[in-house]
Formats: sequence, C-alpha cells, structure tokens
Amino acid sequence: MVINIKKVTPGTEVELHTKKGDFNCVILESPTPEIILVKLKSGYNIGIKEEDILDLKVIKKKEEKENERGKGKKEKKKINNDLPNVVLIATGGTISSRLDYKTGGVKWLTNPQELLKVYQELLKICNISKIEVPFMKASENMATEDWNKLSEVAAKYLNDSKVDGIIITHGTDFLAYSAAALGFSLKNLNKPVVLTYSQRSSDRASSDARLNLVCAARVAVSDIAEVMLVGHGNTNDEFCYALRGNKVRKMHTSRRDTFRPINSKPIAKVYPDKLEIISEYRKRNNNKVELKNKFSDKVALVKFYPGQNPEILEHYQAKGYRGIVIEMSGLGHVLTGESKNNWLPKLRKVIREGMIVCAASQTLYGRLDPWVYSVGRELQATGIIYLEDMLPETALVKLSWVLANVKPISQDKVKEAMLTNIAGEFNSRLTEEEFLN
Amino acid sequence: MSEHDLNYTELGFKAGLEIHQQLDTHKLFCNCLSELVNSEPEFEIKRKLHAIAGETGDIDIAVRFEAGKDREFTYQGYSQNTCLVELDESPPEMINLEALKITLQVALLLNCEVFPVTQIMRKTVIDGSNTSGFQRTVLIARNGFVETKHGRVGIDTVALEEDAARIVENDKDKNKVVYRLDRLGIPLIEIATAPDIKNPEQIKGVALHIGDILRACRVKRGIGTIRQDINISVKGHPRIEIKGFQEPRMMVVTAEKEIQRQLANIKNKKLDKEVRKANPDGTTSFLRPMPGAARMYPETDLPLLNISRDLINGIKANLPKLRSDIKEELKGHGLNDEMINLIVSENKLDELKELIQINSDSNLIAKMLVLWPKEISIKEKISLDEINKKLTLDVLETILQALNNKKIQKHDIQNILLDIVKSKSVSEAIKLEKQSNEELEKLENEIKRVIKEKPGLNINAYMGLIMAKFKGKVSGKEVIEMLGRYVKG
Repeated sequence: MVINIKKVTPGTEVELHTKKGDFNCVILESPTPEIILVKLKSGYNIGIKEEDILDLKVIKKKEEKENERGKGKKEKKKINNDLPNVVLIATGGTISSRLDYKTGGVKWLTNPQELLKVYQELLKICNISKIEVPFMKASENMATEDWNKLSEVAAKYLNDSKVDGIIITHGTDFLAYSAAALGFSLKNLNKPVVLTYSQRSSDRASSDARLNLVCAARVAVSDIAEVMLVGHGNTNDEFCYALRGNKVRKMHTSRRDTFRPINSKPIAKVYPDKLEIISEYRKRNNNKVELKNKFSDKVALVKFYPGQNPEILEHYQAKGYRGIVIEMSGLGHVLTGESKNNWLPKLRKVIREGMIVCAASQTLYGRLDPWVYSVGRELQATGIIYLEDMLPETALVKLSWVLANVKPISQDKVKEAMLTNIAGEFNSRLTEEEFLN
Repeated sequence: MSEHDLNYTELGFKAGLEIHQQLDTHKLFCNCLSELVNSEPEFEIKRKLHAIAGETGDIDIAVRFEAGKDREFTYQGYSQNTCLVELDESPPEMINLEALKITLQVALLLNCEVFPVTQIMRKTVIDGSNTSGFQRTVLIARNGFVETKHGRVGIDTVALEEDAARIVENDKDKNKVVYRLDRLGIPLIEIATAPDIKNPEQIKGVALHIGDILRACRVKRGIGTIRQDINISVKGHPRIEIKGFQEPRMMVVTAEKEIQRQLANIKNKKLDKEVRKANPDGTTSFLRPMPGAARMYPETDLPLLNISRDLINGIKANLPKLRSDIKEELKGHGLNDEMINLIVSENKLDELKELIQINSDSNLIAKMLVLWPKEISIKEKISLDEINKKLTLDVLETILQALNNKKIQKHDIQNILLDIVKSKSVSEAIKLEKQSNEELEKLENEIKRVIKEKPGLNINAYMGLIMAKFKGKVSGKEVIEMLGRYVKG
C-alpha cells in the first residue's frame, strides 16, 4: 500500500518505514518539496527524501490545539478602571509574527491577543481596550494607501474620549516612513501615538518586544502628544527611547537598538517603571484631530552617485511623477561642470516643466548648505528645494503628503509647505550630542 | 547490604551516557575564536528572558521552572570571542563546516547512520546560559554502537550543538547572575548512548572508550572541555539525569549512591523525573525538572542542513586512527612505551609523522617533540605552551635538515632548542652551534699538536699554553674538559 505522503496533514503522527530505517514521528510542512520534514520523539526535526519512503502508517491524527492559543475562545476582558485605556493597532512585522510550527516559517499572529498573553506586564500600566488590525503586512509591502488607512484608524481612536493613547506595532524596515506619515496626517495631535517593533519575534524568550511594549505603554499613557517611535535605547534590556517619528532611522540590520535619532535628541528615556523627559514636546490636549491622510504615490527618492546620468529625472517626468527627492552629497551637490553628465541643464528643464525637486543629504547627519560652494549656488538657482536637516525618507513622505494636500497646487505653495515645520521634521539648532547617538 | 553486593540485573539497573565534547575549531555559528579568557571582561550587557510556549503551545516544564525565577542576567564579553551573534543581536551565520566534518568523523567512528537531511533546532534554555533563550542543536546521526568488554553498547544519537555561556557569579541574595560569553557558541558534540549499560563499572568503560574515539579527532583538551552526564534508573523509578562529571572514575561511586537513593525513593513513593548535579563526594543534588520535547523548535534563520554522500564518503576515506591503533603504529616505528604515551598524550602524532619524512630517527624526533621541551620547561621555568609556540613544526624541520646536511650533530640539538626558546632565531641557533663546534674542533687539534710537540708536561702547564693561544675564544672549563681526555691527572 502506498500512501501519498504529501496528502498527510502536517501535525499527523505516523510510523514511517524508509530505506534509512524506521521513524515514529510527526509530519511537518516542509520548506523543500522533495524533502519530507518530520519531528522525532526527541523533538529534533530531520528531513527524509521522498524517494526513500517505503510505507507509512498513521498513528494519530493532528490535534487541534488552537483553543489553547486563544483562537476561538472569547476571553473575558479584564478592565481595570483605575488604568488608562490604550488602543493597540497591529500592522504586521516581526512583533506580530510567531513561528509556525507546521511550516517552520514565521507567520502572522492569528490573534494579536496572543501578544498580550505573552507580555502580561503591559496590562499593569494600561488597559488594552481595543486591538485593531487594519492590515497585516511586512513593512516593505506597505504603500501610501497603508499610510492612509493607518492614519484613519489612529484618528478615529484619538478622537474617542475614552481612549488615552495609541500603540502601533509595525515592521522595522519601513517603520520610520509610517511614523513620518502619521506626523503629517494627524493635524492638531492630542494624545500619544507610539509606534513600536521587535527585531526578535515574540516566540523567543529573548524577544525585545517585551521591553519595547512595556515602555510603549508607559509613553502611550504619558502627556506627550507626539508621534513617537519607542524602542531599545541600547543593547541592554534596560530602557527605551521615545524618538521623534520623523527624525528617526533604522541604522542596523539586526540589533534591537537599531533606531537612532538623527539630528535630534530623544524626547524621553523610558524605563518599565518610569519616564525621564529629555527634550521639549507637545503636551496632551483636548484638540480634535483633523485627519489629512491623502498621499501621492507620484513621488520618488533618488540617491545620487558619482557619474550618474541625469536622464533619470526625465524618466520620472515621463512616467508622470510630480516630485523627486534627491539624496545629494554632503552639503547638497550633484555632478556639474564640463562633464557630459552635468545635471544643471536637466534640472532646470524638469523644474521649469513643473517637477518639484527637493534635496536631502546622503550623510543623514547635519544640515544642507548650498551657499558654501559656487556649485551649490548654481544648483540652488535651478529651483531645487533644499530641505535643511530633514531625513531623505521623511522628505519623501512629506513631499508625497504635500502634493496631495496643498491646493491649489503651485511650485511656490509646495516650496512653502515643504519648508514649514509641520510635525517637528526640522531642527533649527543642531547640537553636539545629536551626532551618532 | 553493602553497595558492592547489589545485583544490578535483579534491580533492573539501566544507564545511558551523554557525553559533551568541545571541538577544536572556531565557534559554530559565527567566526569568533573558541577560547576561554580569564582576564577582566571588556564589556558587559544586561538582559532578561521570559517563558514562551513551545511548538505545541505548551510551556515546557523545565522552562516554566526557570521562568518562575524572573532574573536579570549580566553577560561579560571580549572583542576577540564575542560578536553580535553571541549577543543575540545578529542572526546565526552558516554552520561551521569544519565542526560538522569532525562530528561526522566521530559519528562514523561510532558506527552511526548519518541523516542526509536534518534541521538546526532551538532548544529552549532560559536559565540565562544562552542570550537567545535557546541553544542551537542539530541531530547528525543515529543507531551506532561501541564494543566494550562488558558487551555492545548502542549509540542512540550524535548531535552537534553550541556550548552555553559559563556562569561566573551567582549571588542568590543579590539576585545577580553573571555569565561569560567566551564559551557561548563553541561547537560541542553530544553523544547519547542507549540505556544498554548494565552496571556502574561499565559506565566508566564506555566513557573511556568514547573518550578514546573523541581524542582521535580534533577536539579540545583540558578541564571543562568534556562533560559527561549519566541517565540512570532502577526498575520502578523514572529516569534521572546526573550532570557535571569531570572524571570518569567518579561515575562508579555516584551511580552506586544514586541506586541507593532511587531505592529509597521507591520505598517513599517519591518518583520524579529530574536532572541532578554530581557532587564531588559522589552524592547528587536537585538541579531542575527533566525537560521534554516541547522545548525544541526549528532555527528559522537557517536553511535545512544537507549532508551529502560525497561529504560522508570523503570523511570515511580519511578517518583518523584511534589511540589504541596509533600506539600499535608507533611501536612499529621503534619507539618505547614511555615515548609513545608522551606523543599520544601531547597530541604530537601529526608532527611526528611529518618529521619522520625528513629524518627517520623516530626516537630523536620524539625527544625533540615531547621530552626536551618538557625538560626545558622545568629547567628554565617557561611554560610548555610558550615553548611549543616557539618550537614550531617549521623550526624543527629546519633543525633536522641542518642535521641531515651535517651542519650540526645530534647531540647539539637540545642546546639549539634551548637557544630558540630563549629567543634566538633558528638560523642563529644553528650557526652558533656550528661555530662552537668549529671552535672546539680547532681547540682539540691544537691540544693534540701541543701534546705531540711537548709531551709529558702536567695538565696545568698544557692549560697555560692553550689558554695563551685561545684566550677569550673558549672557556677554561671547556679546555680542562678536553685536556682531561688526552692528559692524565
């Protein structure tokens, strides 16, 4: 009798007879088609080549253990009236994922309540009065419509008098973009909007989610009405920083303290049991949040490199793009002079024809200054908008937002909006301690 | 009833061994050096671990036990042996291929079947000894055996895993636990025998036999590089794991005491599966509950591990020889037992084979490799390690070539080694020895000439004549010595 092993539901306990001996094991989903992955009694997983399998006997069908994980089981919400109410918005990312034991891969939490089960400490600081899941995505799969949706959900709860603050869990890679977007779209912000993350999934005992979530809760109930990113301050599980959402950048592929403030100081140093204010912030207030959540996707971010042909500008123009942020050299230069790839003529042309061209610096730290060299002055004269100390990513999000919200649209109006400090994206005083911290 | 009168068969005595041996390569999932450091740590970090549900959604009993303690852990590190991987700040790199090859050697020497496809797992450990909260481990082979004089003992599994951080401070009053990360990630081979061991004496026998196989491969030597656990039970008592033996000879005493403890437990109906710690006096003490399979889940950051036929065949073709076989071979080279034991215990076999290619005098080479370095170490109070660092294979080769080319003589070699240890270069040392040989030859010729020219003088008179001529070039002692050979009294 030959049973097609591919048809056996993962999780089924079987007796396998193979050319390499017999195994009493549980079938798992395999990442490789020709390999059957099984779990032995000892807990170890091994692979068996499909062609080596001679026979199998089902011993026990897969057990449904979902109830134990909280799915389908309505948990009684324990509301502590003495604690502030916080809404948790889960959007995906490592923090919303756990290992799927069937596949061995990492999958979204089927129920974000699971997160709270793991991190009970959070509930000593606030009630999680509602968990919203507008979408579950890895952050690299997000786009302007997701910023739009996220802002809408956030605004709804910010204008709910029973809600004291918001925590948004998010993937790390493009978290800073969403944070910047929320800063522009939530006008007259009244309560804390805290984005947090993890670099180690929450099924790991060492997950950074634990400290990040507890500190996020601490900030969400504070009187800081800003869009902030809360995460590990250093490699220790000791404290987090509350960082300004549009002056923050992911600076490491894997460290838990990956997010660093750029051209900015943290707003606060946050411990599980206390919060120390570091810099000025907008205070909690009774404003009604005005939702301005339109974003244009006809904007691009271009990184200049030596020798680059400026025809890239015309390419975007031909595709209907309305704005480009160019990551320029240190103070704000691109190729000019005798070279056949002189950018000046093309810049003049596309700007004259209506394109918005902004400049941000590749160095990230420091402020652009087109006045130091004559090249800069020539570039400035083309109509490029030099965005001071703004991060390139924030500049892209802002340009996307400005182009969708300024009406009637004109190059002057856009320039004025781009250079107005709307949500703390500019810092007019750069100080010593704001570099490499 | 005395311990020695126990009838193990009647008691239903069953025991299995678990042997953990560090391999002599860089770390298993990163490129850090595998070496322990005893100087002040270069940096410290602080972390917390929390209990998590295992694959089945259950929290493992051993994990729950540790998590109940809710402790903060301090980790000490050094730049040379601690990178972001040990700090749980970076995903693991691909498994160390060298360590895998050594493990395959051991598995094949233990007559095991190797798994062609296997998965690197995370074994939940939250006592703080792993910054990640798990230990990475991968099953490599199964179903082997060793033959002992008490019969065949099966080898259930051979796994390759990363060693844990070592505890350097555990202050229960201050709730402070400090681990050092130098050991975390050192490749460790885990060999588990079947519960085929029939009596305590056999435990020791199997341990020594497997130890012999391990030492034939590239494994670390010295205290702490091998750790043995025993799984032991008598009929009616669940399995007990005893950890932390440093010496095989303590296993017999401890096993006998454990039998008594289990028999008492059966009487008192106190039957728990647990992990216990071996104390130096042969008793044991409770460590933690026995962990189950719920603590294992896959290492999702790494692909499945394929162990190809080609890799296995390549290793099969070059399996190292066991100590017992090596000893036989060395006898064939004409070495005596004492020399053979020294060569084997100092792990100098490869060097010996290399050097025999240059000069076939195996006794001389053995002396150069093991005997003289030891003598120099004692006489000059320099550590053997430091001496071995200077007397490299290259150095010894150069000396043997000089001997082959008759630039030096056999009896010069010990002096040359000493000069090199005292920081002379090889060429310098050989030249010095050659020069002094030439000087002595001149001296000897002169003595013969003077004696022939002026026979019958007393030794002091000859001494005066010779010294006048060789003043400053040779010592009085040397002249007296040489004159002694030609002139009586």
